[in-house]
Amino acid sequence: MKIRNLLAGLVFSVFAASSLASSGLAGQPAPDFALKSSTGQNMRLSEYRGDVVMINFWATWCGPCRQEMPLLDELYTRYQRVGFNLLGVNIDDDSSRAMAMINELGVSFPVLFDASKDVSRLYEVDAMPVTVIVDREGNVRHVHQGYKPGYEQKYLDQVRALLRE
Amino acid sequence: MTRKLLINVVAGLALAFAASLPAQESGAPDADAQSRDQFRQLDQDVQSLKKEVLDLNRDLFLLEEELLFPANSQVAFFVSMDVGEYFKLDSVSLKIDGKEVANYLYTDREAGSLLRGGVHRVHMANLKTGDHELVAIFTGQGPQSREYRRGATLNFSKGIGAKYVELEITDRVKKQQPEFVIKEWE
Repeated sequence: MKIRNLLAGLVFSVFAASSLASSGLAGQPAPDFALKSSTGQNMRLSEYRGDVVMINFWATWCGPCRQEMPLLDELYTRYQRVGFNLLGVNIDDDSSRAMAMINELGVSFPVLFDASKDVSRLYEVDAMPVTVIVDREGNVRHVHQGYKPGYEQKYLDQVRALLRE
Repeated sequence: MTRKLLINVVAGLALAFAASLPAQESGAPDADAQSRDQFRQLDQDVQSLKKEVLDLNRDLFLLEEELLFPANSQVAFFVSMDVGEYFKLDSVSLKIDGKEVANYLYTDREAGSLLRGGVHRVHMANLKTGDHELVAIFTGQGPQSREYRRGATLNFSKGIGAKYVELEITDRVKKQQPEFVIKEWE
Protein backbone atom coordinates (compact mmCIF):
# COMPACT_ATOMS: atom_id res chain seq x y z
CA MET A 1 0.00 0.00 0.00
CA LYS A 2 2.83 2.29 1.02
CA ILE A 3 4.74 1.55 -2.19
CA ARG A 4 1.62 2.24 -4.24
CA ASN A 5 1.18 5.63 -2.54
CA LEU A 6 4.82 6.43 -3.07
CA LEU A 7 4.58 5.56 -6.76
CA ALA A 8 1.40 7.63 -7.15
CA GLY A 9 3.14 10.58 -5.51
CA LEU A 10 6.16 10.18 -7.75
CA VAL A 11 4.03 10.04 -10.90
CA PHE A 12 2.06 13.08 -9.76
CA SER A 13 5.21 15.07 -9.03
CA VAL A 14 6.68 14.17 -12.45
CA PHE A 15 3.46 15.34 -14.15
CA ALA A 16 3.38 18.52 -12.10
CA ALA A 17 7.03 19.25 -12.91
CA SER A 18 6.52 18.65 -16.66
CA SER A 19 3.42 20.86 -16.79
CA LEU A 20 5.27 23.63 -14.96
CA ALA A 21 8.23 23.33 -17.28
CA SER A 22 5.98 23.64 -20.29
CA SER A 23 4.03 26.61 -18.94
CA GLY A 24 6.88 29.08 -18.44
CA LEU A 25 5.20 31.42 -20.90
CA ALA A 26 1.63 30.75 -19.78
CA GLY A 27 0.01 33.87 -18.38
CA GLN A 28 2.65 36.13 -19.93
CA PRO A 29 2.05 38.47 -22.87
CA ALA A 30 2.89 36.58 -26.06
CA PRO A 31 6.21 37.90 -27.44
CA ASP A 32 5.56 39.73 -30.69
CA PHE A 33 7.27 38.69 -33.92
CA ALA A 34 7.09 39.18 -37.67
CA LEU A 35 8.04 36.53 -40.20
CA LYS A 36 7.79 35.93 -43.91
CA SER A 37 4.93 33.59 -44.79
CA SER A 38 4.35 30.94 -47.42
CA THR A 39 2.24 33.45 -49.39
CA GLY A 40 5.21 35.84 -49.60
CA GLN A 41 3.63 38.33 -47.21
CA ASN A 42 5.12 39.30 -43.88
CA MET A 43 2.91 38.50 -40.89
CA ARG A 44 3.07 40.01 -37.43
CA LEU A 45 1.47 38.39 -34.38
CA SER A 46 0.31 41.69 -32.83
CA GLU A 47 -1.88 42.32 -35.88
CA TYR A 48 -4.10 39.47 -34.72
CA ARG A 49 -4.86 41.04 -31.34
CA GLY A 50 -8.56 40.50 -30.72
CA ASP A 51 -8.49 37.00 -32.20
CA VAL A 52 -7.60 33.75 -30.52
CA VAL A 53 -4.29 32.70 -32.10
CA MET A 54 -2.66 29.30 -32.12
CA ILE A 55 1.04 29.26 -32.91
CA ASN A 56 2.27 25.85 -33.97
CA PHE A 57 6.04 25.33 -34.22
CA TRP A 58 6.89 22.47 -36.55
CA ALA A 59 9.63 20.97 -38.72
CA THR A 60 9.63 18.68 -41.75
CA TRP A 61 11.73 16.07 -39.93
CA CYS A 62 9.19 15.79 -37.09
CA GLY A 63 6.81 12.81 -37.43
CA PRO A 64 4.16 13.96 -34.91
CA CYS A 65 4.02 17.36 -36.69
CA ARG A 66 3.02 15.61 -39.90
CA GLN A 67 0.35 13.73 -37.96
CA GLU A 68 -0.94 16.84 -36.21
CA MET A 69 -1.03 19.38 -39.04
CA PRO A 70 -4.11 18.10 -40.94
CA LEU A 71 -6.03 18.05 -37.62
CA LEU A 72 -4.96 21.62 -36.90
CA ASP A 73 -6.05 22.61 -40.37
CA GLU A 74 -9.53 21.24 -39.63
CA LEU A 75 -9.66 23.37 -36.50
CA TYR A 76 -8.54 26.39 -38.49
CA THR A 77 -11.08 26.02 -41.30
CA ARG A 78 -13.88 25.44 -38.78
CA TYR A 79 -13.25 28.35 -36.43
CA GLN A 80 -11.50 30.89 -38.66
CA ARG A 81 -14.69 32.87 -39.30
CA VAL A 82 -15.39 33.31 -35.59
CA GLY A 83 -12.07 34.91 -34.71
CA PHE A 84 -9.57 32.06 -34.63
CA ASN A 85 -6.22 32.19 -36.38
CA LEU A 86 -3.50 29.63 -36.74
CA LEU A 87 0.10 30.47 -37.55
CA GLY A 88 2.34 27.54 -38.37
CA VAL A 89 5.98 28.44 -37.69
CA ASN A 90 8.40 26.24 -39.57
CA ILE A 91 11.91 26.05 -38.17
CA ASP A 92 13.67 24.27 -41.07
CA ASP A 93 16.82 25.87 -42.44
CA ASP A 94 15.50 25.36 -45.97
CA SER A 95 12.02 26.74 -46.48
CA SER A 96 11.56 24.88 -49.80
CA ARG A 97 11.22 21.60 -47.86
CA ALA A 98 8.49 23.16 -45.75
CA MET A 99 6.71 24.40 -48.89
CA ALA A 100 6.81 20.89 -50.35
CA MET A 101 5.31 19.43 -47.17
CA ILE A 102 2.57 22.08 -47.00
CA ASN A 103 1.61 21.29 -50.58
CA GLU A 104 1.70 17.56 -49.90
CA LEU A 105 -0.50 17.82 -46.81
CA GLY A 106 -2.71 20.47 -48.40
CA VAL A 107 -2.95 22.63 -45.26
CA SER A 108 -4.59 26.02 -45.68
CA PHE A 109 -3.36 27.91 -42.61
CA PRO A 110 -0.52 30.39 -43.09
CA VAL A 111 2.95 28.98 -42.55
CA LEU A 112 5.75 31.29 -41.50
CA PHE A 113 9.45 30.61 -41.88
CA ASP A 114 11.76 30.98 -38.91
CA ALA A 115 15.00 29.77 -40.47
CA SER A 116 17.06 31.92 -38.11
CA LYS A 117 15.20 30.33 -35.11
CA ASP A 118 14.78 33.75 -33.50
CA VAL A 119 11.08 33.25 -32.82
CA SER A 120 11.62 29.68 -31.58
CA ARG A 121 14.10 31.01 -29.05
CA LEU A 122 11.64 33.73 -28.07
CA TYR A 123 9.05 31.03 -27.29
CA GLU A 124 11.58 28.72 -25.60
CA VAL A 125 10.84 25.92 -28.06
CA ASP A 126 12.76 22.86 -26.90
CA ALA A 127 10.52 20.11 -28.26
CA MET A 128 8.78 19.45 -31.56
CA PRO A 129 5.98 20.27 -32.16
CA VAL A 130 5.12 23.04 -29.69
CA THR A 131 1.66 24.56 -29.75
CA VAL A 132 1.00 27.88 -28.05
CA ILE A 133 -2.52 29.27 -27.66
CA VAL A 134 -2.85 33.03 -27.27
CA ASP A 135 -6.06 34.69 -26.06
CA ARG A 136 -7.81 37.77 -27.47
CA GLU A 137 -5.83 40.02 -25.12
CA GLY A 138 -2.53 38.76 -26.53
CA ASN A 139 -1.59 36.63 -23.50
CA VAL A 140 -0.24 33.09 -23.71
CA ARG A 141 -2.84 30.84 -22.14
CA HIS A 142 -1.77 27.30 -23.02
CA VAL A 143 1.49 25.70 -24.08
CA HIS A 144 1.61 22.12 -25.35
CA GLN A 145 4.87 20.36 -25.95
CA GLY A 146 4.91 17.43 -28.35
CA TYR A 147 1.88 15.74 -29.83
CA LYS A 148 0.04 12.55 -29.00
CA PRO A 149 -3.23 11.37 -30.54
CA GLY A 150 -5.99 12.93 -28.46
CA TYR A 151 -4.27 16.29 -28.00
CA GLU A 152 -6.52 17.73 -30.73
CA GLN A 153 -9.48 17.36 -28.35
CA LYS A 154 -7.60 19.43 -25.75
CA TYR A 155 -6.86 22.08 -28.39
CA LEU A 156 -10.51 22.12 -29.43
CA ASP A 157 -11.75 22.56 -25.86
CA GLN A 158 -9.24 25.29 -25.09
CA VAL A 159 -9.85 27.20 -28.32
CA ARG A 160 -13.62 27.04 -27.85
CA ALA A 161 -13.30 28.26 -24.26
CA LEU A 162 -11.11 31.18 -25.32
CA LEU A 163 -13.43 32.10 -28.19
CA ARG A 164 -16.29 32.30 -25.69
CA GLU A 165 -14.41 34.74 -23.40
CA MET B 1 11.23 103.62 61.97
CA THR B 2 10.98 100.33 60.26
CA ARG B 3 9.18 102.09 57.45
CA LYS B 4 12.06 104.55 57.03
CA LEU B 5 14.56 101.72 56.99
CA LEU B 6 12.59 100.00 54.25
CA ILE B 7 12.51 103.17 52.18
CA ASN B 8 16.27 103.56 52.58
CA VAL B 9 16.89 99.96 51.50
CA VAL B 10 14.68 100.36 48.43
CA ALA B 11 16.35 103.67 47.60
CA GLY B 12 19.78 102.08 48.02
CA LEU B 13 18.84 99.19 45.78
CA ALA B 14 17.50 101.56 43.18
CA LEU B 15 20.72 103.56 43.29
CA ALA B 16 22.81 100.44 43.00
CA PHE B 17 20.75 99.33 39.98
CA ALA B 18 21.08 102.79 38.43
CA ALA B 19 24.82 102.68 38.98
CA SER B 20 25.10 99.34 37.32
CA LEU B 21 23.21 100.44 34.16
CA PRO B 22 25.86 102.66 32.54
CA ALA B 23 28.37 99.85 32.95
CA GLN B 24 26.08 97.50 30.95
CA GLU B 25 25.40 100.12 28.27
CA SER B 26 29.07 100.73 27.73
CA GLY B 27 29.64 96.92 27.02
CA ALA B 28 26.79 96.66 24.39
CA PRO B 29 28.50 98.34 21.40
CA ASP B 30 31.39 95.89 21.58
CA ALA B 31 29.06 92.90 21.65
CA ASP B 32 27.03 94.32 18.77
CA ALA B 33 30.11 94.92 16.66
CA GLN B 34 31.33 91.46 17.45
CA SER B 35 28.04 89.84 16.54
CA ARG B 36 27.86 91.99 13.38
CA ASP B 37 31.31 90.77 12.38
CA GLN B 38 30.31 87.23 13.12
CA PHE B 39 27.17 87.68 11.06
CA ARG B 40 29.15 89.17 8.16
CA GLN B 41 31.56 86.25 8.32
CA LEU B 42 28.68 83.83 8.39
CA ASP B 43 27.09 85.60 5.44
CA GLN B 44 30.35 85.36 3.50
CA ASP B 45 30.60 81.69 4.39
CA VAL B 46 27.03 81.10 3.20
CA GLN B 47 27.71 83.01 -0.02
CA SER B 48 30.87 81.04 -0.75
CA LEU B 49 29.03 77.82 0.08
CA LYS B 50 26.23 78.88 -2.27
CA LYS B 51 28.77 79.52 -5.00
CA GLU B 52 30.37 76.16 -4.39
CA VAL B 53 26.93 74.51 -4.60
CA LEU B 54 26.19 76.33 -7.84
CA ASP B 55 29.56 75.31 -9.28
CA LEU B 56 28.98 71.73 -8.24
CA ASN B 57 25.49 71.83 -9.67
CA ARG B 58 26.80 73.12 -12.99
CA ASP B 59 29.51 70.46 -13.08
CA LEU B 60 26.96 67.78 -12.26
CA PHE B 61 24.60 69.07 -14.93
CA LEU B 62 27.33 69.01 -17.56
CA LEU B 63 28.44 65.57 -16.45
CA GLU B 64 24.88 64.35 -16.59
CA GLU B 65 24.45 65.84 -20.04
CA GLU B 66 27.64 64.35 -21.37
CA LEU B 67 27.59 60.98 -19.72
CA LEU B 68 24.62 60.03 -17.64
CA PHE B 69 21.44 61.30 -19.21
CA PRO B 70 20.50 58.58 -21.72
CA ALA B 71 18.27 60.82 -23.85
CA ASN B 72 21.32 62.80 -24.72
CA SER B 73 23.11 59.92 -26.31
CA GLN B 74 19.92 58.83 -28.02
CA VAL B 75 19.68 58.52 -31.75
CA ALA B 76 16.29 57.60 -33.19
CA PHE B 77 15.83 56.28 -36.71
CA PHE B 78 12.52 56.76 -38.51
CA VAL B 79 11.22 55.29 -41.77
CA SER B 80 8.84 57.27 -43.96
CA MET B 81 7.43 56.74 -47.45
CA ASP B 82 6.17 59.13 -50.03
CA VAL B 83 3.99 57.92 -52.93
CA GLY B 84 5.52 54.44 -53.13
CA GLU B 85 4.41 53.71 -56.68
CA TYR B 86 7.76 52.26 -57.64
CA PHE B 87 8.51 50.43 -54.43
CA LYS B 88 6.66 48.02 -52.15
CA LEU B 89 8.53 47.91 -48.86
CA ASP B 90 9.35 44.53 -47.39
CA SER B 91 12.07 45.13 -44.83
CA VAL B 92 14.62 47.61 -43.55
CA SER B 93 17.91 46.58 -42.05
CA LEU B 94 20.15 49.02 -40.19
CA LYS B 95 23.85 48.80 -39.48
CA ILE B 96 25.63 51.30 -37.27
CA ASP B 97 29.41 51.28 -37.52
CA GLY B 98 29.31 47.89 -39.24
CA LYS B 99 27.11 46.23 -36.62
CA GLU B 100 23.56 45.19 -37.45
CA VAL B 101 21.22 46.83 -34.96
CA ALA B 102 17.78 46.40 -36.50
CA ASN B 103 16.04 44.26 -39.06
CA TYR B 104 12.38 45.06 -39.40
CA LEU B 105 9.86 43.19 -41.55
CA TYR B 106 6.89 45.29 -42.68
CA THR B 107 3.50 43.69 -43.02
CA ASP B 108 1.08 44.96 -45.69
CA ARG B 109 -0.78 46.92 -43.04
CA GLU B 110 2.37 48.60 -41.79
CA ALA B 111 3.54 49.45 -45.30
CA GLY B 112 0.04 50.81 -45.99
CA SER B 113 0.26 53.03 -42.91
CA LEU B 114 3.58 54.42 -44.13
CA LEU B 115 2.01 55.21 -47.49
CA ARG B 116 -0.79 57.07 -45.74
CA GLY B 117 1.74 59.36 -44.09
CA GLY B 118 2.76 57.34 -41.05
CA VAL B 119 6.30 57.48 -39.74
CA HIS B 120 7.76 54.40 -38.10
CA ARG B 121 10.49 54.54 -35.48
CA VAL B 122 12.48 51.54 -36.58
CA HIS B 123 15.29 51.79 -34.04
CA MET B 124 16.55 53.76 -31.09
CA ALA B 125 20.18 53.64 -30.05
CA ASN B 126 22.47 55.19 -27.48
CA LEU B 127 25.55 56.39 -29.27
CA LYS B 128 28.72 58.02 -28.00
CA THR B 129 29.53 61.49 -29.17
CA GLY B 130 31.65 61.44 -32.31
CA ASP B 131 31.44 60.24 -35.90
CA HIS B 132 29.33 57.26 -36.89
CA GLU B 133 28.34 55.47 -40.07
CA LEU B 134 24.79 54.34 -40.76
CA VAL B 135 24.03 51.86 -43.52
CA ALA B 136 20.36 51.20 -44.28
CA ILE B 137 19.36 48.34 -46.57
CA PHE B 138 15.87 48.43 -48.01
CA THR B 139 14.33 45.32 -49.58
CA GLY B 140 11.04 45.02 -51.38
CA GLN B 141 9.50 44.98 -54.82
CA GLY B 142 10.64 47.56 -57.32
CA PRO B 143 9.19 48.55 -60.69
CA GLN B 144 7.53 45.67 -62.60
CA SER B 145 7.33 43.75 -59.29
CA ARG B 146 11.00 42.85 -59.39
CA GLU B 147 12.95 42.02 -56.25
CA TYR B 148 14.63 45.18 -55.16
CA ARG B 149 17.45 45.70 -52.67
CA ARG B 150 19.08 49.04 -52.14
CA GLY B 151 21.44 50.51 -49.61
CA ALA B 152 21.95 54.06 -48.43
CA THR B 153 24.75 55.35 -46.26
CA LEU B 154 25.01 58.34 -43.99
CA ASN B 155 28.05 59.50 -42.09
CA PHE B 156 26.91 61.57 -39.20
CA SER B 157 28.40 63.23 -36.21
CA LYS B 158 26.80 62.73 -32.84
CA GLY B 159 27.09 65.70 -30.53
CA ILE B 160 25.45 66.48 -27.21
CA GLY B 161 21.68 66.16 -27.37
CA ALA B 162 19.29 63.71 -28.97
CA LYS B 163 19.53 63.10 -32.69
CA TYR B 164 16.85 62.07 -35.17
CA VAL B 165 17.54 60.44 -38.50
CA GLU B 166 14.89 59.86 -41.16
CA LEU B 167 15.11 57.15 -43.79
CA GLU B 168 12.88 58.40 -46.55
CA ILE B 169 11.64 56.37 -49.49
CA THR B 170 10.38 58.49 -52.36
CA ASP B 171 9.57 58.03 -56.01
CA ARG B 172 11.82 59.51 -58.64
CA VAL B 173 9.29 60.00 -61.40
CA LYS B 174 11.82 60.98 -64.09
CA LYS B 175 13.76 57.72 -63.73
CA GLN B 176 10.69 55.72 -62.71
CA GLN B 177 12.68 54.36 -59.82
CA PRO B 178 12.41 54.64 -56.06
CA GLU B 179 14.88 56.81 -54.23
CA PHE B 180 16.27 56.23 -50.74
CA VAL B 181 17.39 59.26 -48.81
CA ILE B 182 18.75 59.49 -45.28
CA LYS B 183 18.22 62.85 -43.62
CA GLU B 184 19.21 64.25 -40.26
CA TRP B 185 16.53 66.24 -38.50
CA GLU B 186 17.75 69.51 -37.12
